[in-house]
Amino acid sequence: MAKSSPKRRGSGRSKKKHGKSTAGSGFRARVWRLIWRVGLVGVVILAGWTVYLDAIVTSKFEGRRWEVPSRVYARPLELYDGAAVTTSGLSQELSLLGYAPVRSANEPGTYSRAGRRFEVHTRGFRFSDGQEPQRRLRFEIVQDRVGDFRVVSGGSTPVVRLDPVQIGGIYPAHKEDRVLIQLEDMPDYFSTALLATEDRDFFDHWGVAPLSIARAMWANIQAGRVVQGGSTLTQQLVKNLYLTREQTLVRKGNEALMALLLELHYEKSAILETYLNEVYLGQAGQRAVHGFGLASQFYFGEHFRDLDLHEVALLVAIIKGPSYYDPRRHPQRALDRRNLVLDLIAETGKVPASDIQKARQRDLDVVGKPSYTDSRYPAYLDLVRRHLAREYKDEDLQSEGLRIFTTLNPEIQRATESAVEQTLNQLEGGRTDKKLESAAVVTARDSGEVLALVGGRDPQFAGFNRAVDARRPVGSLIKPFIYLTALSQPDRYTLITPIKDQPFSLVFDDGRRWEPENYDKQSHGVVPLHQALSRSYNLATVRVGLDVGIDAVIETLQTLGVGQPIQSYPSMLLGAVNLSPVDVASLYQSLATSGFNTPLRTIREVTTSGGETLTRYGLNVDQVVDPAAVHLVQYAMQEVMQEGTGRSAYRFLSSDLGLAGKTGTTNDGRDSWFAGFSGDLVTVTWVGRDDNGPTALTGATGALPVWSNVMSQIPQYGFSPIVPAEVQYHWVNSEKQALTDESCSNARFVPFIAGSEPTDTINCSGDFTRRLRSWFEGLF
Amino acid sequence: MMQSRVFPCLCLASLLLAGCATGPGGPVYVPAEKAPPPPQTDTSEPETPSAAEQQQRRQQQAEEPERSAPRYQDDSEDMSPAAQSLVNRADALLAQGEARAAIGQLERAQRISPRSGKIYFKLAAAYRSIDELGRAEQFALKGLSLSGSNTALQRTGWMLLADIRRADGNVAGAEKAEARAAEL
Repeated sequence: MAKSSPKRRGSGRSKKKHGKSTAGSGFRARVWRLIWRVGLVGVVILAGWTVYLDAIVTSKFEGRRWEVPSRVYARPLELYDGAAVTTSGLSQELSLLGYAPVRSANEPGTYSRAGRRFEVHTRGFRFSDGQEPQRRLRFEIVQDRVGDFRVVSGGSTPVVRLDPVQIGGIYPAHKEDRVLIQLEDMPDYFSTALLATEDRDFFDHWGVAPLSIARAMWANIQAGRVVQGGSTLTQQLVKNLYLTREQTLVRKGNEALMALLLELHYEKSAILETYLNEVYLGQAGQRAVHGFGLASQFYFGEHFRDLDLHEVALLVAIIKGPSYYDPRRHPQRALDRRNLVLDLIAETGKVPASDIQKARQRDLDVVGKPSYTDSRYPAYLDLVRRHLAREYKDEDLQSEGLRIFTTLNPEIQRATESAVEQTLNQLEGGRTDKKLESAAVVTARDSGEVLALVGGRDPQFAGFNRAVDARRPVGSLIKPFIYLTALSQPDRYTLITPIKDQPFSLVFDDGRRWEPENYDKQSHGVVPLHQALSRSYNLATVRVGLDVGIDAVIETLQTLGVGQPIQSYPSMLLGAVNLSPVDVASLYQSLATSGFNTPLRTIREVTTSGGETLTRYGLNVDQVVDPAAVHLVQYAMQEVMQEGTGRSAYRFLSSDLGLAGKTGTTNDGRDSWFAGFSGDLVTVTWVGRDDNGPTALTGATGALPVWSNVMSQIPQYGFSPIVPAEVQYHWVNSEKQALTDESCSNARFVPFIAGSEPTDTINCSGDFTRRLRSWFEGLF
Repeated sequence: MMQSRVFPCLCLASLLLAGCATGPGGPVYVPAEKAPPPPQTDTSEPETPSAAEQQQRRQQQAEEPERSAPRYQDDSEDMSPAAQSLVNRADALLAQGEARAAIGQLERAQRISPRSGKIYFKLAAAYRSIDELGRAEQFALKGLSLSGSNTALQRTGWMLLADIRRADGNVAGAEKAEARAAEL
């Protein structure tokens, strides 16, 4: 109180002595007061705004968890002596991977070819079972097989995996794509290049660098246009993370303020690492390429840490304008800027001049744009998603950066797609009034891996997936399972058991009659069982089915994996059972593998982005039916291809394949099916119309040509099943149900479950030991 | 006269049939061919061959004997050197107690040599080591189904199966498997 008194007194004196000036100074004081108050209000608002921005900066930065899409990969191509690889298949694989054809494969991601000799410099890839290092390989391809395989550098091994082709991704809604990296992933000289070009004082400033801004402004004034930016890396990061791209003073102010706040809260290393993962570096179709992790793959097909100096410089050069300096579209522009970056690096004195000089001599070395699009394998990816949906949520797939390793074989997929398209065009012969559709599934016989899947004649169309969703009556495809049920009772049925292929009618309790017919409306008398199957005789089959029991046949189908209920009507014996091509492939897999149920798989493994396994979908086998009975069915199915309804396949395919299969046709050719296998593959094809309308096709004339076309394009082992211990082959006369001499003209070498072979013998001239024995038996 | 023509034909046919019907032996690798020419789209073709076609077919069979008998084999198939190298790696992993990693390598080997019974036995042993006995038994059975006439391989399989069944408490099944091994 004492101190304030003089002040008040002084003030009173002043009023008395200087009246006019008092008025003027009062005005000034009021102005100052106003300014002070406005200023104070401004400071309060600014403080409030700063607090608000601070909350945004900290909450977003700390909660920053990028949504990193899951990546879906094809199976990696394995190379070794004897591997089945065609030159066209290898070329396609290398092209899909963005490997560059060069004269000498000195760099990872390149290959050279001289005639049938190849040299491939593989890229490294981190699989869940360890790192597959970069290697340089030499080999030749002779008759669709790898030979003279050698690892020239990178560590010797008899088997090498190429990096797998990425066939798709599961992206977040905002279409950003990135591969997360850490500071320790930075290649040599990267930070030097980045800081020299974008922010020399990064480690010294507080988020904004007034000197840099002044320097940039001066440079821009001198040039008469914007040639240099004054933004620090922190400001660029703030702009990318929190702000719009508009150029206003308010935004600039916010940017500066937020940059300061960011620096206040976080270490330089955290800011730099976030920048490396956030910066926008290009566009892959609809998806924005963010961060150097993905950009390295997008432009060079390499991991970030493996980049050379000239590649480092190019990536840094692109930051200024990823579209303007796009190295694919504007290579000269990009080259000039890259060299400018190299000059800036040289100025730092941290990189030997000789290295800079060498880097300047290098080409851009940008790989061809990765040729995958999300629509390349829509049907296959659809099945993958369905399998994933059993264990993973959509949001995890869109944000966790998971890696999904599938079983797709790109070469077999290509062959299947082209076979469907070509064959359907040929079948239609230019007529478009009744448009045919098709679906196909190819699986690996002994592992159940789905190698290819075609959901329609336009493989790029991501609509109705006929391979999975079109459930159609399977017609005669059901027959092997009826005969399997019968042959599982060796005391009643063998391959030579005589079956009546004669008309009959069934009268139901309600008075309805059912009179099955053969396709050709003919009956064939009494025929041996193997012939009834190979010729696909309906009358004989229905008799066998009714004899063993419809429910027993249904049980066989369910044991082999048909999950849906099947109605117990006699018509099911002629294939009135609706299944999709994938269901059929699953069923036939068990026939192909001698009674082992091998679940179909599209995914081998799901891992984290770091390669840690989350879920493995391993090989699984389960013996569900008698392998001996299956062996007999396989015999008859091979006969289908040699003498029966599938025989036209051998017009195009080598008889060495020992193929086994079955045709299927439904009423009026509405569904044309073929299911069959070789030593390596189980393939199912369907042809029909989406409106379920009639066609003039049978299984043999519609689906079989597609099937043959697929199989003719894939190198493979022939089918030659191992004879189970319980099965013995005998020379028989199948019409007489008697053993015979192998030299007899009607002798056939037929497998029997031990003990079910005929006991009678007949020789070539027709003498019956049976008669003789009967005669003797009659005596006693 | 007629008879004199038919007899040599029958003899030839029977010889050809006899030649192919003894089974083809080992598996056959077939390189890919060019995509087939436009298929015969005779849409009137029935699913079953006509008598004339059957006749034609029979003639064709005589000309192309290799098509006239289904294929089969008695021998088990060998593992390729590439698959063997992966099996060796799996053995080392298994010795270190890393059964899961070993299974990964064995599955790679299985894709390379899918018809080698030995690989399935290795898988059975790997699953046996981590007490997944149901799966182990199935792989042993699969291996046995591919062992063919190789008695040493069969004996390995039956003994392995016996061991797995015994571990699973299936004493009767184990004894049965041991009896099968003893028969060899």
